[in-house]
Amino acid sequence: MSDILANFFSMGNFNPGFIIILAGLLCIFIPVSEIRKALVLLAPIAGGVLIFQQFTSAEVIGGIWQVGPLKLTTLRIDSLAIIWGYIFCLAGVLNAIFGFHEKCKITDSSALIYMGAAVAAVFAGDLITLFVFWELTAISSVFLIWKGGDGSFQAGIRYLAYHVTSGVLLLAGAVIYGMSRGGDYSFNYIGLDAPGAWLILLGMGIKVGFPFLHNWIQDSYPKASITGTVILSVFTTKLALYALARGFPGTELLIYIGAIMTCFPVFFAVIENDLRKVLAYSLNNQLGFMVCGIGIGSQLAMNGVAGQVVAHVIFKSLLFMSMGAVMHRVGTAKASELGGLFRSMPITAVFCLIGAGSIAAFPLLAGFVTKSMIITSAIDHASYGGGPAMWVVVLMLLFASAGVMEHSGIKVPHFTFFAHDGGHRVKEAPWNMLVAMGLAAALCIFLASPIPGIGGYKWLYSMLPYDVEYNPYTTDHVVFQLQLLFAAMFAFAFLKRQGVYPDERKAEILDFDWTHRKLGANIAIWVGAMWTRLSANGANVRASFVDVAGRRLQQLFSPAGAFSAASPSGLPALLTSAMLAFAMIVIFVAAT
Amino acid sequence: MSDHHDHPDMPDDYSPEGLAHIHPYAKPFLFLGKESVKRNFIWFPVVGLIIVSIMGFFFPPKHPAPWDFGFSWAVIGFAAYTVVVLSAEPLFRLLAREENYYGEEEAPKLKNKGDHYE
Repeated sequence: MSDILANFFSMGNFNPGFIIILAGLLCIFIPVSEIRKALVLLAPIAGGVLIFQQFTSAEVIGGIWQVGPLKLTTLRIDSLAIIWGYIFCLAGVLNAIFGFHEKCKITDSSALIYMGAAVAAVFAGDLITLFVFWELTAISSVFLIWKGGDGSFQAGIRYLAYHVTSGVLLLAGAVIYGMSRGGDYSFNYIGLDAPGAWLILLGMGIKVGFPFLHNWIQDSYPKASITGTVILSVFTTKLALYALARGFPGTELLIYIGAIMTCFPVFFAVIENDLRKVLAYSLNNQLGFMVCGIGIGSQLAMNGVAGQVVAHVIFKSLLFMSMGAVMHRVGTAKASELGGLFRSMPITAVFCLIGAGSIAAFPLLAGFVTKSMIITSAIDHASYGGGPAMWVVVLMLLFASAGVMEHSGIKVPHFTFFAHDGGHRVKEAPWNMLVAMGLAAALCIFLASPIPGIGGYKWLYSMLPYDVEYNPYTTDHVVFQLQLLFAAMFAFAFLKRQGVYPDERKAEILDFDWTHRKLGANIAIWVGAMWTRLSANGANVRASFVDVAGRRLQQLFSPAGAFSAASPSGLPALLTSAMLAFAMIVIFVAAT
Repeated sequence: MSDHHDHPDMPDDYSPEGLAHIHPYAKPFLFLGKESVKRNFIWFPVVGLIIVSIMGFFFPPKHPAPWDFGFSWAVIGFAAYTVVVLSAEPLFRLLAREENYYGEEEAPKLKNKGDHYE
């Protein structure tokens, strides 16, 4: 123990995630809500300050820890990791403000441990350290789902199953990868050709929501508590994006996976009634853009990914916060039961519209200055040797951009705050929720500002991993982006007028998780029933076998049995003699 | 006849009883609930679309795709949006099941929802 402590204190720089985790552990023992809330707010601020202080050169390595034969690098801050670290801390502050009203020890402590684990993971310099915090994010965050009340327990269990599997795959791949490199587990570019790389990619793919592995997002996020959903939307998937950006930049397969990720959620989102689930599909769609950018791997694309992570954390949190505020007041987030809430919650409505405009990439709002880098890099990639398949990818990204406008840009605010009047006359969101949403909305505007000298997109770009000259506010870019968005708005209004736009209906929409929640469960039930029947039959077979064998033995060896009969009395002596003779012959042969 | 499409159980927005339940900041924007405003909303994107489509000919994209022309992204936006919306009905028929199909209680409906005006 003393060795471990000595190691810890001799590490010099240490991972900022540790103090956030420590704050989370402390929260468990603090009974006073106000003190806990102060800790929840201050811990991410302290984490951010620590990151700022420690990032003194292009790459800071620290926290080296020798554990047996393993050399763990618990701290590595560089130009890629730092942007994730900062945005996680910023999101932690916003979440703390948003959840200020919730007096729940479990939420406070698990939120901090979860956030700390995510920060620690992005600053991990080796795959083993990454694995430890990778799993800690899963274990700590499941409590946020379970705090969602009835019906969230099963979703939490499924969430854990997905994430523990993801961690096991990551560890298995890491061990194979590290062993192939003579015990070097450092986490840098891996590439698909390395031993164990496919396992690592699959582990990361589960956490980032690859197609067919994505269902945990739509299953668990809408079932978490109001604050829990907002917190969950930030860390897990972005951590996985970081890991992909670190380990697999420029992997062509990711371009196509990302393109599929952008498109398929659009079709589910349009028919989904639960607006938090719509946002969960929207999250999948946005992750697709970033996965695609990682696959392209150019400096512009990687900058686009890092910038989009920042913007996405903010505007997606804002959208989840606005739906959380609505749910807090109205009691539901189902589109079929909402509508007309701009009368009661006008400030929340404005914030939601800013979030919706940001995710749809309206000029002057955050998504515009980041997503365009990914699409431009995709067009560049297609133009310079990407081939026809890459042009298909570009079309898919444009299709998905219009799709985003449909589900997050129009559907969510329209069915919540406008559309028909749902008859809810409620109070505006609590002050803390309004402050958190206001800050997020202000950031959406601030990060996209083209006005020189007051921050804006240039400030954001200066934090990105590569020095690339890119101006999103060229006339052609603004004009063509507005074409896409105005055309989508026109299509909405036109189809609505024609009565073609679907009304929101209450239903459970099947997705790929049907295979394990229904088909797999039914197969398991069937196998269980068959096993029970076979066991019952097997017991009968065993009983009758024992019965028959017992009777046979009884017939042979009982005092009244065949072996005790008088007539063949010389037979045992004869058999014994034969055995003895056989043994003697064997011994004689062996001796000679 | 009122130009509003209120909830049947709710008083008209502009009646004293209705106004009592409206947030003060929302009162100047109650026109957004009028049926005529909703019906005529279409002219906002129409005008915007015409302007940016014309501008597209004067400011062609610096990174053009093979299919790009003056208002190509408008065509893509309209077509994509329409495809998504038109796919909704067949997809709903294919994928929709009754609520609680999986036998688990659905997304939490809060028992102690926030304060209401009522």
